Amino acid sequence: MPEQVTVPGPRPAVLVYRHPGTPAAVLRQVRAGVEEEGVPTDVVDVPGPDDATALAHAAAGESRLGVGIGLDASGTAAVHHGTLPERTPVAATPAEADPSDWRRAGRIAARVVKHLPLA
Amino acid sequence: MTPVDPGRSPARLVVGVDIGNSTTEACLAVVAPEGSITHLATDLTRTTGVKGTPDNTEGALKAIRGALARAGRSAGQVETVLLNEATPVISGLAMETITETIITESTMIGHNPTTPGGEGLGVGTTRSIGELGEQQPGEPVVCVVPHGWDFDDVAATLNAAVAAGVDVVAAILAGDDAVLVTNRLERPIPVVDEVSAVEKVPLGMLAAVEVAAPGRTIRTLSNSYGLATVFELDPVQTRQVSPVARALTGNRSAVVVRTPTGDVTDRRIPVGELVLHGAGKTLRVDVDAGAEAIMEVVGRAQPLDDARGEPGTHVGGMLAQVRDTMADVMDIAGQPDVPVSEIAIRDVLAVDTFVPAEVRGGLAGEVALENAVALAAMVRTSRSRMQLVADLVSEGLGAAAEIGGVEGEMAVGGALTTPGVDRPIAVLDLGGGSTDAALLTREGECTAVHVAGAGELVTKLIDSELALGDRDVAEGVKWFPLGKVESFFHLRHEDGTVEFVDQPLSPHVFARVVVLTPDGPAPVPTRHGLDHVRRVRREAKRRVFVVNALRALRQVAPGGNLRALEFVVLLGGSALDFEIPDMIADALAPHGIVCGTGNVLGTEGPRNAVASGLVRAHAALLAEEARCRSR
Repeated sequence: MPEQVTVPGPRPAVLVYRHPGTPAAVLRQVRAGVEEEGVPTDVVDVPGPDDATALAHAAAGESRLGVGIGLDASGTAAVHHGTLPERTPVAATPAEADPSDWRRAGRIAARVVKHLPLA
Repeated sequence: MTPVDPGRSPARLVVGVDIGNSTTEACLAVVAPEGSITHLATDLTRTTGVKGTPDNTEGALKAIRGALARAGRSAGQVETVLLNEATPVISGLAMETITETIITESTMIGHNPTTPGGEGLGVGTTRSIGELGEQQPGEPVVCVVPHGWDFDDVAATLNAAVAAGVDVVAAILAGDDAVLVTNRLERPIPVVDEVSAVEKVPLGMLAAVEVAAPGRTIRTLSNSYGLATVFELDPVQTRQVSPVARALTGNRSAVVVRTPTGDVTDRRIPVGELVLHGAGKTLRVDVDAGAEAIMEVVGRAQPLDDARGEPGTHVGGMLAQVRDTMADVMDIAGQPDVPVSEIAIRDVLAVDTFVPAEVRGGLAGEVALENAVALAAMVRTSRSRMQLVADLVSEGLGAAAEIGGVEGEMAVGGALTTPGVDRPIAVLDLGGGSTDAALLTREGECTAVHVAGAGELVTKLIDSELALGDRDVAEGVKWFPLGKVESFFHLRHEDGTVEFVDQPLSPHVFARVVVLTPDGPAPVPTRHGLDHVRRVRREAKRRVFVVNALRALRQVAPGGNLRALEFVVLLGGSALDFEIPDMIADALAPHGIVCGTGNVLGTEGPRNAVASGLVRAHAALLAEEARCRSR
């Protein structure tokens, strides 16, 4: 069953832009990483581009916290901040990422919001 | 060009070379027959090899050639190279913890996961999550979750157990899932996570789990009587568990498991006595008494002839270690080894410190702060081989090379070229291994002393007190001011000023305490805040350099009276530090002393004092000879 997609709500949140082809496990772990740090997420389905960094940059621009996550069909997760140039995200999961990498991406996004060291 | 008068000796090109522990400095000058000096160039390079050994030749030649190149002169024009007679001391360091916390049985998990879940205190029997289904209702249970469990499954299992009547009061997780699990529970409980060695948590034992609200610290498990209440302990048992309470103080979450034979010991290792021989006396001081008491006794035994430690104790081991290292340094190939027993320790600096050490037997990498003593010791050596270095330099350069003078006296001579100073002048050479003081009286008498402890000890204190485990990082913390990266585009300096940067700061320094190196901000790997790191840095410098500045100056000051000193000039690598000179000046100000960082030749700062002093001494000698001839 696909993860429920939430509509941007009244409270500020880390915005997740998800390509429709994103594996469900990626979204689940990324959101868990953000939630474990106590920060809310909103998820929006975005048809394209199929590029995690570009999606993350767009999401960060829209997020009122200035922090966005992009998920693409290949399962890559990227974390972005509204002040950063598009091609230099805060973090991106490596190729061959596993659940702990996706969880870490969510954790990093939340820690940017909370102004805590990312590692 | 002035034509050379064949009847008189022409102006001579000389180079003073100071081989120090870390840098080698050269001063190139033309000395006229009547003794006037024209400085041409200076140079500075890293010392090659251990000071006072033939390996120094390479660095010395590099510094000489560097100065020659700057002045546009050739090696063939050099008449004399003047080398320093090395300060006849070498120094060593030792550090030992004097307390140690050991958990002999797994009883305590006192770590600070960044995100524990829930809040409050839960007391029950430890049960693995796998056996929760077989659990009878009624008895309170602390659920232990091993690696590999998904947070949704954990929450579902716990909810099902609670629905079946099992009284789950708390949970201990291996993974970083506490908030995720708590958010999915129907009945909230305290949850501690990131317990890496969760499989070592004994099952079927009474355990207490406590999580404090954000911004708070635990109240029950960090209190001896809280533990006594929870576990129904008698006074004897309460005394036994009091180290547990102490070790958990300041945590936001903790777990304590009561095992039948469990025990946390706060063992005090016998540190032993330091035996000081000096001033015709033999004085003993217990190292346990702390640095202040030790230094007071060291002061009474001045000048020190030797220091020894009681064999079989920590201090015995520490001094033996220092002696062994020094014997190795002093050994010369082809000559009989220096017997360790003949190495006399001529000065000791003791510093109280603390070392965060991982608790032995801990389950989550718990760290306890252990008290420690650091000792810097200094040994005199007669085996300087500067003459050999001089011979090798002479050979390599094709010019005469000689030992030009003793370091302390030369440093005073060089320091006198600082604008605004006059005799009586005292110099403080803040080096790496020792802090040296020399005094030149109005009458021209020079006395010099060396005391143990300098820059290396500061680095070591910073390294251990911040648990950095990396000497280079500790050096960075010592040398550069701190900052805190507050966003990708601004950082706050330690004085509170905020700087905006044009290029985004790297994510690996985001929200971190950083040292502001010339290559940009470098993260300090610590969970401590900027203020704590700053305090550790300044305290380390104060305990070594301020203490030693006063100690060394009292030894050269007439009658030990600092008021008799007028000008104090700070020299050496640590005089370039951004705060040490100010700290020393502050400490000397009440004694009516003018104190500041030297500016040798008016251009070189605290560098090049010995090298310039060598040239000055040589010029004075030539002038003297010229006067004798003309009579």
